[in-house]
Amino acid sequence: MQVANHIKKLSKAIDGWFQPDNMKLKTAIEQTVDEGFFSFEDVKQQIRALKHATAGDNLHKWTESSGLQPHSLSGKDILCLHAGNLPLVGFQDALSVMMTGGNYFGKISRKDPYLLPAFLEYSSGLILQSEINWVLNLDDLEITKVDALIFAGSEDSASKVTSVLREKNIITKSTPSLIRTAHFSVAYITNNHPETMRDLTEAVFRYGGAGCRSIAIVVAPFGLNDWKCSFTEYIEEFWLKNPQHSKPDPSLFHRYAFNKAMKIEQAWLDDFLIEEQLSKPSEKFILQWIKGDKNTLDDIVSKFKDGLQAVYSTENYIGQKSNSMIIEPLSKAQNPSIWWKPDHIDTIEWLQENVGI
Amino acid sequence: MAETDLKEYIFNSGISFADRLKEVYIYQIANNPFYRDFSNVLGLNMDSDIDPESVPLLPIRAFQLGKIITENSDADLMFKSSGTTGMLQSMHYVADKSLYENAISEAFYSHFPKDKYALLCYMPGYLDNPHSSLIWMAAYLIKNDDCGLSTMYHDTENIDEWISNVLDKGKIPLLFGAAFGLLDLIDENKINISNQFEIIETGGMKTHRREMSKTELRKQLSDGFDVAPSNIHSEYGMCELLSQMYAIGDEWFTTPHWVQITIRDPRNPGRICKPGEEGKIGIIDLANLYSCPFILTDDKGVSDENGRFQVLGRWNSDNLRGCNFLIDRD
Repeated sequence: MQVANHIKKLSKAIDGWFQPDNMKLKTAIEQTVDEGFFSFEDVKQQIRALKHATAGDNLHKWTESSGLQPHSLSGKDILCLHAGNLPLVGFQDALSVMMTGGNYFGKISRKDPYLLPAFLEYSSGLILQSEINWVLNLDDLEITKVDALIFAGSEDSASKVTSVLREKNIITKSTPSLIRTAHFSVAYITNNHPETMRDLTEAVFRYGGAGCRSIAIVVAPFGLNDWKCSFTEYIEEFWLKNPQHSKPDPSLFHRYAFNKAMKIEQAWLDDFLIEEQLSKPSEKFILQWIKGDKNTLDDIVSKFKDGLQAVYSTENYIGQKSNSMIIEPLSKAQNPSIWWKPDHIDTIEWLQENVGI
Repeated sequence: MAETDLKEYIFNSGISFADRLKEVYIYQIANNPFYRDFSNVLGLNMDSDIDPESVPLLPIRAFQLGKIITENSDADLMFKSSGTTGMLQSMHYVADKSLYENAISEAFYSHFPKDKYALLCYMPGYLDNPHSSLIWMAAYLIKNDDCGLSTMYHDTENIDEWISNVLDKGKIPLLFGAAFGLLDLIDENKINISNQFEIIETGGMKTHRREMSKTELRKQLSDGFDVAPSNIHSEYGMCELLSQMYAIGDEWFTTPHWVQITIRDPRNPGRICKPGEEGKIGIIDLANLYSCPFILTDDKGVSDENGRFQVLGRWNSDNLRGCNFLIDRD
């Protein structure tokens, strides 16, 4: 009952925040767009996705699937370092902490200084049983010895970040840390129906291809050369409605020059590059198109499992496994459920297991 | 310029590097189809003003994907990088081994004169690779030691006897080995070299143990072998390069006169990083005349005001695509 009431209150707060007459959200969107952090279309898409994900009894469903206990993190301080290339990055982590009743301390992404703070400010007025604090710069964080740390970054950055936090006495060697390193997703496409192609385009090109749920590798039974023309039409259609906000670095053109020299099949789209070549995805604005079947997909999933966030497909393959990963619907790539598990870990479950009372 | 002249021209320190580079660039554009296409797309060709800073650097993975050798050249030698399972290996086809021999001798003996040093090579991991350029180099240096003392560690039956022989001849024993192998030697306590030796470490810092910084590696070698840090040197070389760079007694590498290093901005490889700014190590090695002398490595480095450079490990591009707190702080 305690959990139900808490979640009901939280659900109502989120629902209220997403209402069109919420002037604070409107102002945050305007500031975000006017100051060039994200395009209006990308912000709109993210808000639409989160509004849908948190609507109705979705939070309740998440409490059930995660086994949320009443005030399981009451009095515990959780530090979330948010970084990334999407609007409202960190929303799910902040919500997880609020749902468990823990005290939320956030370092807001420098690239998204208005949207998440607007939500946090709104929530802090309604969720009275836990503290909600945030800063834009780590140096402004006035807290010592938090009970847990959540952040996303590369393997390489993990040790550097934790050592900075240790120096500041914010964490100790034994502080539970949820460090997420997945940074790309893969799709297996077996048809070129308009719906599939539009979903694929959205999943690849939304947010300029950034974000761990965005597709960096497509496996399809046809080579890039066979699909290049028709795929380009869908991309142009997408870009007409969603002009790409962020532009690639000059290194992308160097990569195009390299592919040309090495006779690698490719499609140069000025702000994006599609290449028929497999390597571990690490750079932005690149889609790798690999001709192959389900076995090819399985090989790629096995080879790159360390950095892989999700595997998507259509119809017959949804729910099947590619190695240990369950194949998700392609259409959900940029619209995940609120209970989706970044790096295959449910944040609420993790918090309760590692920090819970 | 005739090819035979060009080979000598490369190693002629009386000619400015820029002039030598120009001739090599013209030769490459005329004879290397991979590099010609790469350079043309980036807008540089034989009609352009060619200088060391404007010459495009071909990403090093070209050696994994294609046979990088100039037209009408046959390979004297083929070197293959060591690689872990599932990793593509680089292949370097060497059309003229005399270029490699020359590059090795000129650079190595300028730091470690033949008449002063005897070499003990310990390269266990590389011995399994019959195409290792490092093993070839070690064998070449051993063969060219006039007094015949230089040797491979595994060919030495009695190491203490070898050491006293070298010392009796008034030479300095020089242990040359891959970093991880040297650390194993310390652990196994197989050799007691104390302050009589100097050491050259080479190879990546990502060992079967873990990745470590050069500073940490040097400290472990110094403590483990009881050798002063000033007598611990580093070599920077790779299968794709015919030339090697050395850091003598510290972490700063210098280049031989036919090589130029710049640190490149990974987001814009055409931009040269300022001293102190980390980036990818870009190399112009004129000895690579018949493969590709203009290479952008995936190694992370930093330069100083004097043109020296440090190797800081591998450049990790995962930071660029994903959510990364460190990037976010920049």
